[in-house]
Amino acid sequence: MITLTINGKKQQVDVEADTPLLWVLRDNVGLTGTKFGCGMGLCGACTVLLDGEPMRSCALPVSAVGSKAITTIEGLSKDRSHPVQQAWIAENVPQCGYCQSGMILSAVALLKKKPQPTDADIDAGMTNICRCGTYSKVRKAIHRAAGNDKT
Amino acid sequence: MGHSPSADTPAVSRRDFLYTAATLGSGLALGLRLNAQQAGAGQRPGAAQPTRPPEAFIRIAPDGTISITTPAVEMGQGGHTSLPMIMMEELGGDWRKLQVADAPADRVYNNPLNNRQTTVGSFAVRGWYNELRRMSAAAREMLVAAAAQNWGVAASECTAANSVITHTPSGRTTSYGSVAAAAALLPVPQQPALKKPEDFKVIGTSPARVDVPNKVDGSAQYGIDKRLPNMLYGAIRLAPAVTGKLKSFDDTAARAIKGFHSTVALDNAVIVLASSWWQAKKALEKVKTEFDPGRLGGVDSAKVSSLLRAGFTEAGTTTLNNGAAERVLAAAGHVIESDYEVPYLAHACMEPMNCTAQVTSEGCEVWCGTQAPQDAQAAAAEASGHPAERVKVHTLYLGGGFGRRGESDYVGQAVRAAKAAGRPVKLLWSREEDMQHDYYRPAAAIRFRASVAADNTVEALECRVVTASEPNFGANRPPSYTGGMSDCRYQFPNFRVTGVNKDVGLRFGFWRSVNLSHNPFMFEGFIDELAVLNKQDPYQFRRSLLQHEQGLRQRAVLDLAAQKAGWGKAPAGRFQGIAVTEGFGSIVASVAEISARGDNIIIHRIVTAIDCGIAVHPANVLAQTEGGTMYALTAMASGEITLNNGAVQQSNFHDYPILIMSQAPVFEGHIVPSKEPPGGVGEPGTGSVMPAVANAIFAATGKRLRSLPLSRHNIELSVARA
Ligand code: FES
Ligand code: FES
Repeated sequence: MITLTINGKKQQVDVEADTPLLWVLRDNVGLTGTKFGCGMGLCGACTVLLDGEPMRSCALPVSAVGSKAITTIEGLSKDRSHPVQQAWIAENVPQCGYCQSGMILSAVALLKKKPQPTDADIDAGMTNICRCGTYSKVRKAIHRAAGNDKT
Repeated sequence: MGHSPSADTPAVSRRDFLYTAATLGSGLALGLRLNAQQAGAGQRPGAAQPTRPPEAFIRIAPDGTISITTPAVEMGQGGHTSLPMIMMEELGGDWRKLQVADAPADRVYNNPLNNRQTTVGSFAVRGWYNELRRMSAAAREMLVAAAAQNWGVAASECTAANSVITHTPSGRTTSYGSVAAAAALLPVPQQPALKKPEDFKVIGTSPARVDVPNKVDGSAQYGIDKRLPNMLYGAIRLAPAVTGKLKSFDDTAARAIKGFHSTVALDNAVIVLASSWWQAKKALEKVKTEFDPGRLGGVDSAKVSSLLRAGFTEAGTTTLNNGAAERVLAAAGHVIESDYEVPYLAHACMEPMNCTAQVTSEGCEVWCGTQAPQDAQAAAAEASGHPAERVKVHTLYLGGGFGRRGESDYVGQAVRAAKAAGRPVKLLWSREEDMQHDYYRPAAAIRFRASVAADNTVEALECRVVTASEPNFGANRPPSYTGGMSDCRYQFPNFRVTGVNKDVGLRFGFWRSVNLSHNPFMFEGFIDELAVLNKQDPYQFRRSLLQHEQGLRQRAVLDLAAQKAGWGKAPAGRFQGIAVTEGFGSIVASVAEISARGDNIIIHRIVTAIDCGIAVHPANVLAQTEGGTMYALTAMASGEITLNNGAVQQSNFHDYPILIMSQAPVFEGHIVPSKEPPGGVGEPGTGSVMPAVANAIFAATGKRLRSLPLSRHNIELSVARA
């Protein structure tokens, strides 16, 4: 049994130690908002926050999580009220939406480090793949969430 | 043509309607019967259109909720918003009361344009536009009639908007919900009055997309998210060559992996089932397999390329022959000849292929993202042994489609596994399997030959397209892959287009924009060569070829792109390239503005203009055009699927990289105002940007790029934001 803190709740899971956190969240805990894209840490669809740091959960064995607090897209707010979620809605960012959980959590982490990110900060901080090509809207939404007038 | 569909398709009976209404459970639905329109322009001649019972599309509950079932699935293209907009426009419904659901597999949802239930070919809006408006207008007239009858007044004295019916003289009002049940019993107007475009209140606006809220909190359900009680998880290993077959396997070592349940052998794959996907994947790694590569054995990319080039001298099938290009070229003193080539490409949807299936003695159910629910149904029927009527398809959101999810290979596999296991199965492909078992955008090559008259005009042009994968729709149909040239608007006195099929056996699929993903890069590149040869400005040269009646619409799009981009006025050190394409009922022109530092090409901006007729949701039109542009730039920069002994060599995003934020150029989109019927927007944005960038690279460096991707030429694309 491994004990995890997920979205503020302690939970016990019965999985092998090498299981990536992604599959524990999706298949054992039932939090399917975190997505699988590549399984190699290349796309960012599986991004979650570990103590506020963005982490690609497909490449992270569950045994390495320890006592760090895990935040998934489901735990960002109860009612889509997080400023980043609000900005995403205001800018109509998603197309297929499959990458967007990871995008949003990456943006949350970026804004924590750089509350007023420049375009260069966004380029450096947002390395997730969006196959639908929503990048300009992601950028606008981050500026909006930051309260930058660029929106 | 002139076929009357109502003659041989049964109308829906009242009993059917009552049955439908009863199964809804929540009061009476608005039930209507409306025969499908006669096949009109652009519809497949002779194809019987189903009778469309509008209650299959619109239901109004007593509380006023308007439930719309969309015949188009949602894969990011906006179908769940744009089709309801068209309906709400004519219905006069309150947008806040709207609920949208996916359609089951059923002929009534066949797109009028291709008579199939598919969300492909940028068909949704352009195919459904008239039919949905007519159906919704009929519903509005019935609601108004029911209210008028109630009040004992003339329907002509009533108006309807925002789900409220008003009797204008008295000011009395009632809601759609209160009269829906009575309206359902009225006769269905077969010729309802449609709004004039100038009176549109919904079409042409950009409401928030209905699928957005659930896509920011993790609650949106994609195929991959389906969970069933007692479900097993499946991981698959397919034959490395897509034509391959399974010879033998040994799963002894896999059985020791915790959670292992069973191994299912398919004709061309093994699937390992386990209690979690991770366990299934780990166990699969322990399975030893032997495959026979089949037809693709021994085929590599060099062979594909040489086959394509061999096709340049074969007869092929001519799809356009204006004038006497062959004779003029044979007699010409000087013929300009250029060969172009593009490789295979993968769709690489963000969500790898997957399907969840359950098979019982009663029937079969599948849950998946699919662009073709009836094809998924047929695949599940075949695999389960149940007739199609016993197969229920639940369409969930698609984590990208781009044409890939028009295929149903993954559905049949999941059903076979579920049947073998006697338990529900979620089959999920790894990214590697997804990359290596796609239905690929075909590799293609074109040889262009042209001669120029003394007055610097093109007197003859010949294009010979060779494709390396089977894109023909049946033996006796003309090659489809010459599209973008055989139907082009440019006028040349002698113009011939020929297609040659050199199918090597690698399966082909529709890849966002289909022919426009390869032909315009090559064709618009050669048009640029001709402009340079004739010492003409590339934009003015194209204009000069579009002076005739059928070229005016294209010319206007070209003009708008050129004007917005400031054609010819690029800042010092920057260079422009231009291209125009037409397809899917829309015209797109792009101008790329770049600078060059050695082999590093810096894109400063892409300016694009689109004429898609009436833009139903302008913000989404631009989002799709921009998305298509990014999709194309990924292909242009590094997109290449190569073969070794028939097996695809790329496996994941490290060797099939996708453009990311820092590589996405500034994009400016402009819509040509239009009152023409809507064209498609999901795909057209993909075609013109590749040649525009390549032509800009020529302007900057003098290097004419005749093959892709740019990585092959050691050219790196980057962007600047100022
Ligand atoms: S799924 Fe984890 S980075 Fe792609
Ligand atoms: S919205 Fe489809 S992958 Fe990003």
